[in-house]
Formats: sequence, C-alpha cells, structure tokens
Amino acid sequence: MTTNILVVDDEPKYVRLMEANLLPEGYQVLKEYDGQGAVEVVAEKRPDLVLLDVMMPGLDGFQACERIREFSNVPIIMVTAKGEEHDRVKGLDKGADDYIVKPFSATELLARVRAVLRRAQVSGGSFQQAVFNHGNLKIDFARAEVFREDKMVFLSATEYRLLLQFAHSPGRILSSEDLLVNVWGPEYREDKEILWVSISRLRQKLEDDPRNPKHIVTRSGMGYTMPPLEE
Amino acid sequence: MMTREISESANLNSQELEAMYAISRVVAKSTELDNSLNDIINLARPVFIFDNIVMYLLEGSNSLEPSYARAIGRGRSSEADLAWGEATANEVLRTEEIIVRKEVKGDYTKDRMRLRYFLGLPLTVVGRLMGALVFVRYGGPTFTPDHTQLAEFITTHVAQLLEHQQLVKRLSNLEAERRLERLQDDFVATVSHELRTPLGFIKGYATTLLREDINWDKETRNEFLAIIDEEADRLRELIDNLLDSSRLQSGTLRMEFQPIRLDTMVRDMALRARSFHENLTIELNIETTGIQVNADPTRMAQVFDNLLNNATKYAPGSQVCISLRGVDDTAHMEVRDNGPGISPDHLNNIFNRFYRVPNEIKSVRGSGLGLFICRRIIQSHNGEIWAESEVGKGTTFHITLPCEYVDSNPVDNPISKEDGK
Repeated sequence: MTTNILVVDDEPKYVRLMEANLLPEGYQVLKEYDGQGAVEVVAEKRPDLVLLDVMMPGLDGFQACERIREFSNVPIIMVTAKGEEHDRVKGLDKGADDYIVKPFSATELLARVRAVLRRAQVSGGSFQQAVFNHGNLKIDFARAEVFREDKMVFLSATEYRLLLQFAHSPGRILSSEDLLVNVWGPEYREDKEILWVSISRLRQKLEDDPRNPKHIVTRSGMGYTMPPLEE
Repeated sequence: MMTREISESANLNSQELEAMYAISRVVAKSTELDNSLNDIINLARPVFIFDNIVMYLLEGSNSLEPSYARAIGRGRSSEADLAWGEATANEVLRTEEIIVRKEVKGDYTKDRMRLRYFLGLPLTVVGRLMGALVFVRYGGPTFTPDHTQLAEFITTHVAQLLEHQQLVKRLSNLEAERRLERLQDDFVATVSHELRTPLGFIKGYATTLLREDINWDKETRNEFLAIIDEEADRLRELIDNLLDSSRLQSGTLRMEFQPIRLDTMVRDMALRARSFHENLTIELNIETTGIQVNADPTRMAQVFDNLLNNATKYAPGSQVCISLRGVDDTAHMEVRDNGPGISPDHLNNIFNRFYRVPNEIKSVRGSGLGLFICRRIIQSHNGEIWAESEVGKGTTFHITLPCEYVDSNPVDNPISKEDGK
C-alpha cells in the first residue's frame, strides 16, 4: 500500500524540495499551499503524514494543526524556520508529533519522516470521520461548520469547542469540571454557571425541543452526555 | 454622585446605602474581574433579590456571548435548564434600553420556576454598548422602578469594572507591541532569520543533489542548481543591503556627489527597468526638463531600482507611472502604481528598518531593508521621500530633491525658467 504524504508550505520552492525527496522513496505526495487547504485535504484524502510549515498567511501551521487534531490523529511534522524552544513546544502542544527546523538536509527530512511513520504504525493511528452525524445534527470538522436538518447553524467559537467535546466522545458522560477546563481553561474549573448558560444556548440552537434535549443530555449529579441514538 | 441621586429618588434605607457604598469600594479596589463581580453580587444580594445573573458581552458586531453567570437562588439544581435571559439580552442589544420582561411557561401556581421575571440593562463603557446584564427572578416579585434603579447602580459599577479590565488589557497589548518593535530592532535576531531563508534552500537543494541513492536526470539537476544559484544571488543581495544599511545608519557610506540631469536619469532608469521586467508597462511623464541635482548617480539609481522592483513585486501587472517636475528649486518625482495599496497602519512604518507588511504572500520576498535604504540615501541628498496609498487603488512614492535648471526650460515654472537662463 502506498504511503501518502501531504506537504504544506506557502513557498512553492519548499514544496518542490520535499516532493523531490519524497517521490523517489515511493511516497505519494499531496501538495497544499495554505493552512485551510491543508485541513480540508486531511479530511478528504486522509494522508498518512503531514509536513506542515508554521509561518503561512491566513490559517498558520499551529492553527491548522489544532484544527486537524479536532478530527484526525494523522502524524504531523511541523516545519519551522524558528528553532527557538517556545516555538517547538508550542507546535508539540498543538498536537504535532515532531518538528524539523529550516535549514535542513534532505537526509534529515527523510529520517524524520521514516521515524514518525514507524511510530504511527506501532501506535496504529486512528482516524475519526471528517463529518460527524448525530440524528439531525451534522458537524463538518474540516470546515468547522454545524448543520441542523441540513441548515447551517451559527455557533460562537466557544459553543463550537463545547460541542466538539461531546462529538469526540459520544456516549461518554463528561463532568462539568472537565468541560470547563477543556473549553474555557483551568481557571474556570469552578465556574459552573458559565457552562450552564452555554449548554442552554447550544440546546436553543441545536435541539428541536430545548426542554427535551436529544443531543446534549443532562445526567443529574454526573455531568452531560451525547447519548447513543436508537436506530 | 450616582449614590446620592439614587438615595434621593429611591429613598434608600440605610442597609441599601451601605451595600451601595460597599460596591463602590469593591470597584475602586478591583484587580480581577470575576472575583470583583462575585463580591458585588454578594453585597447586592441582601438588598436586591434575584435568582440568576448573567453578563453577556458583545462578540463581533452583533452576537452576544455569556462571559459571567451566577445562579444563587431557587432552582440552582436545574443547571442548564434554568432561564438565562438570552432573549432579554438580545432585546437590550437591539434597543440599548432597560428591558423588563415576564415569561410564563405553563402552570406556575404549582411550580414558581415557570414564572420568570427578567430585568436587562445595557452595559455601556464610555458611551459604547459592551453588552447586557440580565437579572432573573423566579415567581416574582416583579421588578419595580426602585429595583431597577438599584440594578442600574450595580450595572454602572460592573461597566466600570469592564472598562478597567479593558484598559489593563489594552496596556498589556501595547506592551506586547513595544516588545515586538524592540525585537525588530534586534539586528542580530532579524538578520539571522533573513539569512536563514535563502540558506534553507541552498542547503536543502544541495543535499538533495548530493543524495547518493538517486541519479537525478539532467533536467532536474539543472532545476535544482538554478534554485541554488538564485538563492545564492539573493543571499548576496541581502548581504549588500545589510552592509549598505548599517553604513548608512552609521554615516560611513561614501557618496560621490556630482551634477546629474534628473530627467535623463529617470529615462535611463525606466529603460533599464523595462529590460529587466518584460511585462512592466512604464508611463513616463516628464513635465520639466533640464533639472539638475547634485547626487551620487549609483545611489540614486539604487533608489529607483528599489521603487520599481517593489512595484513589480507588490503590484504585479500594474502599470507604473513615473513623473518628474520642477517647482522652484525643488525637483519632485513620483512613482505610482495601481496595485493593492498599503493600509494606513503600515504606511507609516514601511521606511523603518526590517519592517515588512504582515501577511504578505511569502513567495514575494524582501528583507525589509529596501525602503529604509532609499530613505537614508535621499536624506543624505537633503531630500525627502514619503508614500501615499489607498487600499485597492495603489501606492505613490514621492521624492523631492533640491535642484537647479540647465539648458532647457522648466515647462510650467516661469520663475525658474528665468533663473535657469
């Protein structure tokens, strides 16, 4: 089976450089020149590895990495012109598996690609659906769009992040504390009411009957869950 | 003052007054928004009954996002099923007025939670609507004008807290910006980053060609070698620019001043640019001939090269119009393009060393030194250079230099014409 590698850089000469080195190794190369394009290609073509440049106009490499991680565990190597520690840490924190600092040699690039692919094989990368369905609710992760009965619903950034918590673990009960920490940050751990307001708003937007919710259900004393739907 | 107004009209009792003063003190001492809001609510609660409070803040131009909420009264256990007054908040946003609403959800005689009263107040900071504060009561009592005034008092203080917090945020943003400026001044950091880019290509393509496991065909080899060659040129250009800019900065760049005919020079430069850039259309508009300036021809050529290069890079496909005219003892030149233009935020900075307009496509490369060098050169000729631009319409660079007139006459300047003779 061929291994597909997505190369993302707004500088065509870098894309060409990586392509030239990867093709003779038997890899298939997909090319993208911006962050948003990269997220969409990952969702549609499901590459086995992404080489992702950091500094790009529009959606930069860090943001693209974060968006990809909303729906995919594809191995990501960040390609950065800055080798400073905080940049490397930031990339790894956003979900990258490795990084390579420009200028790099062709052999270093290939060695890192091989190493990351090897690790991914061992851990068995899992891939979630790029589109998530729950009853009449549909989430397109790549475009960060939400639909109810095929009509687009406008969610604020916070509401979208909150919804993703449920979509990523349907059937699981998520405690208020976990939701607050994951969506708002650790300093909001105790701030239950802000979660209540946001869940109430999500229900207004997503549920047919917000008082009798089907997508985000309260489990009294435990938290909230997106219950498995009966067929 | 607010407190006195309220005490006169609303006949506050001593407990209420005390609470209001305590709230003022909280605002005065506040360092952290959420804690101060908690304090305010605790102080207000004994004199002003409510079950829930939500602060909605504007996100973007017309969408409200809850940023603080407390359920302190009945029905806390209902959690997300509580009433959070979003409709009231939206109405406040629309009308910018105080809104009192009553909502009945079924038979409230058995369940007080089914009868809700909402009081929404606009949060205004320095005349600008920031959001809405909504109080919710289950089962009554309804919000009376006295209650509303107390709530207004609280809202004014919450708005002050917000304003304070915004100022703190703005201050820290400004500090971050200043740090960034200092970073741009950090010569070594910027230079190393600029040098790294061409170096990255040279290293990458050279090691690709050196791979022993592959026999590159001639075409590919030439392609890669051409890139290495191009990038080496770029590296040289960058080093030249760096040397020039630091010599100009320290005043050690030697200039060879001599009288030159500006109209002739401009014509030559236009010809040269046409030969370099096949697709460039240049319109020459020499209104005054015989303009002579005392200048270093190599450095003046460098300035024009730079401006024309910029036009081809940042306004591709646009026609470039160069005009020259003499007004009294000043030569005025313009280089105008119809490109995408430069936004006012950046226009003031483009002559600063290493400044680059952010978010430009990376394939258009520049060191952020060209215009800095231009300005220094023109300044050392006792002239001035500046830019005017309108986004979507184009950019015009203006240069003025002290001048004289020889042999031919300035067209539109009778005084100089006589001087010239």
